[in-house]
Amino acid sequence: MALLAPLFLLGALAIGLPFWLHRLKTQSSVRQPFSSAMLLESSEQQVHLQKKLKYFVLLALRVALLVLLVLAFAKPVFYHSPGVLAGEVSGTHLILVDTSVSMSRAGVFSQAIGAARRAIDAVPNDALLQVLSADGSLHLASDLSGEKQAHRAALSTLSVSALHLDLGDMMKSVDRLAESLPAPVTLHVISDFQASAMPVRFSDLVSSRIPELIPYVVGTGTPFNWSVEYVRETATGLDVALSGYGDRERVADVELVLNGAVIESRGLSVTGPQVIQFAKPEYAEGDNQLAIRIITDDDLQADNERFHIIEKTPPIEVPLITYASEGLPVTYLSAALESASGDAFVVQTLVAGQFDLRVLSRYTWAVVDDISSVDAELSAALIDFLQGGGSVLAFAGQRAFELETLPVSGHRHSPTNVDIDGNQFLSVGQVDSGHPLLSQTEGWHNVNVSRSMPVEVLDGDKVLIRLENNEPFLIERRFGEGRLLLVLGGLNNRWNDFPVHPVFVSFIIETARYLSGTHDISKMHTAGDTLSLAQVGSVSGQVVDPDGNRVLSLADTTREQQIKLNKPGFYTVYTTEKEVSIAVNIDALESDLQTISQEVLDRWQDATAGQDPAVAVAGSRVPDQEPVPTELWHWLLLLLALVIIGESVLGNTYLNPRRAEQG
Amino acid sequence: MIGLHRSPAFGFSQEFAEYRAYNEGDDPRFIDWNVFARTERMYIKRFLGDTNSHLMILLDTSASMGFGGPPVSKLRYGKFLAASLAFLAARQHDAVGCMIFDEEVRDYRPPSSRAGKLQGVLHCIDGAEATTGTKFDKPFQKFSEQISRRGLVAVISDFYCDTETLLASVSPLAWQGQDVVLFQVLDQQELDPEFDSNVLLEDLETGEAIEVAPQFMREAYPQRIRDHIDALQKAAMSIGADHVLVNTSDSLDQALRNYLLFRQRRK
Repeated sequence: MALLAPLFLLGALAIGLPFWLHRLKTQSSVRQPFSSAMLLESSEQQVHLQKKLKYFVLLALRVALLVLLVLAFAKPVFYHSPGVLAGEVSGTHLILVDTSVSMSRAGVFSQAIGAARRAIDAVPNDALLQVLSADGSLHLASDLSGEKQAHRAALSTLSVSALHLDLGDMMKSVDRLAESLPAPVTLHVISDFQASAMPVRFSDLVSSRIPELIPYVVGTGTPFNWSVEYVRETATGLDVALSGYGDRERVADVELVLNGAVIESRGLSVTGPQVIQFAKPEYAEGDNQLAIRIITDDDLQADNERFHIIEKTPPIEVPLITYASEGLPVTYLSAALESASGDAFVVQTLVAGQFDLRVLSRYTWAVVDDISSVDAELSAALIDFLQGGGSVLAFAGQRAFELETLPVSGHRHSPTNVDIDGNQFLSVGQVDSGHPLLSQTEGWHNVNVSRSMPVEVLDGDKVLIRLENNEPFLIERRFGEGRLLLVLGGLNNRWNDFPVHPVFVSFIIETARYLSGTHDISKMHTAGDTLSLAQVGSVSGQVVDPDGNRVLSLADTTREQQIKLNKPGFYTVYTTEKEVSIAVNIDALESDLQTISQEVLDRWQDATAGQDPAVAVAGSRVPDQEPVPTELWHWLLLLLALVIIGESVLGNTYLNPRRAEQG
Repeated sequence: MIGLHRSPAFGFSQEFAEYRAYNEGDDPRFIDWNVFARTERMYIKRFLGDTNSHLMILLDTSASMGFGGPPVSKLRYGKFLAASLAFLAARQHDAVGCMIFDEEVRDYRPPSSRAGKLQGVLHCIDGAEATTGTKFDKPFQKFSEQISRRGLVAVISDFYCDTETLLASVSPLAWQGQDVVLFQVLDQQELDPEFDSNVLLEDLETGEAIEVAPQFMREAYPQRIRDHIDALQKAAMSIGADHVLVNTSDSLDQALRNYLLFRQRRK
């Protein structure tokens, strides 16, 4: 037995109180006048003897009360063995049921449950069992025990999900689980064993801790399935690619559903994969929910609908502030921004000194091709713009080397001014590729820098890219509600060749999306993906799933969240800034219902069984029989209640004679 | 009516006492012919005899006498007893006096049979209050110095004292020829106490507190008090005094009757 809170035992010192109180009561408190004490004899010994006998029980109850109270607070626990010792079981049997999308075929999942029941019945009675399910991840459906009834009951809780099963990932998870299970571990896998579920490497299927694999193949036969492979916007309309698995000619209707309304339906006779062209629909402003629906009696209905988001937003005007409207930086920046898909951005060239600074308030973000040329008035206007919530992408032109402090950002030259020999170039050393701005860009290491602009990094600066000499190249800085992205290099091909590399275009487009807020949430996902909801201020947001249910609780909406997108369909994400639609589709791999060949299955079983027994046993080690704690404080409180009742009753009986006398 | 003292008979003396109607058998020498001549009825003259006595009531007003009740404490009962004795004696034309005492003599009325003196004695008895402790030697010594004539001395007390000490105080009175009666007044709770639980008993005179068990008070204490009473009785007898145990739970007239019958039998 152990105590979870032993410090409370100090309360046992209070046991001295009843002893002290009982000692104090050496004389009766009832005094009565008597004519003379001449003939009286003190009965102290008798009294004490009587009191000892009479009050002993009361004292014992009071001491017991305090002891029980102290022990209850000290939280004693009694450790006992789980009841099953490694030497007493014949091993562990894991019953794993595939619950991926392909198992939703008619009758297949019920076959799987039936097979799982038979597998449970066939397990020896002295073995331990556990029921698992696997789709995109491994789930424990029951606790490890020898109670077969409990495991059969756990089967009824399983259901098919919308996720894809990768057998390699599944075996890795099972391998981790088997580490703590009594050996030997036998894995029963009940699945349709899709060929598309096979991992890239066959060795990923073999676990050193699983010496025996028993596959139960369900859903055999020659399934036929159609699915929408992709939807693509073209200049004239929509291309919808259908994929067929199986060799039967089928008649199907294909519906085009835009924002919940069927706008076109076409009947087809399909024999194989084909691309169907639809006329371009009239899109509404903002996110358009487009669904392509195949209506046919193929074997897997779950993948007969594909979801897509088509954005129709007016191009975002981006002011490009420059002192040389015909210069190379303007050319490079304009070309990169206007190359973004969907004509998302249109550049407005503003020549410094020739435009009203107040127009800046109309824009979300602005580009400054040479921040070193900015005069005081423009600098003040840009600072106001930043502090008001606007964002700026700025480049440090060649004039920056003549300045002690850069305008707007306030960065100073650092003491070490590295002047590179003209024949030597620096490359990019570190890229913060986890930053949302840079996660979609690559090729930074191809950029050559002949001269860097070394600056002192200020408090609050986030250096996103460093050169190989550790000088910052790209800095992000918060200005109140706004942010400044400062590239410490110009765009005139003199100190670097950044603009001529493909990474420049992707950087500019990603920066444009990042600073204009169109980047933060990706709109196309596969079932099983995780959506990150960042906290802005005191809230993150709310997500409504395809069934119209809120995903987050009220408390969750105040915190950054990682939301699992498990259902196919359209999700709506509400943030403080906007409302965004997201399309989630079933993994296309689940549409191919072809099963793994028997030869591969046999090879898998052989590879599993053919492991070195010593390694297999050693891998699945006997788990430490962690003792199971049982808390005793409940019983102590019950006993305490009884003692309190007894003490009260007994104390009251001693009180009553004195009340009669005083009456 | 039988008087309290030993010789109640009226005898010849020079002091006239009263007239009584002549009954057949009375000595005709005592017929008052003057009264016959006036009234044509025969009356006998009665004179105070040498055997007329006086009664001195010594009332203990120590604190222990305040114990008892309901309905009355020992002192109150003793007062009633003293008053009753005084009245009876006065009716017999015996001189009555009283002394109120505890450790000291608190009040004293010399014996007198004059009219109006009874009131004074009763007033003295009525004004007695239970006060301090008990000591017989000093008061009794003073009393013996005051009194000269022989008579009846009724001591009313609970006699919570050492027997020897009491004897030493009372014996001189007996030797003087006084007829001493010791009225020991006790409460029923003293004779037969009843307690359900341990109790701390506080001596009314000394303040001493002793914790006693109910078993002791039920069993041992009554025997002790009996033994004390018996010892007192024997001591009284040894000096020719009478001892009368008076229980405050008994009616006063019953107690007096019992005593008077006892006295009569002794005669």
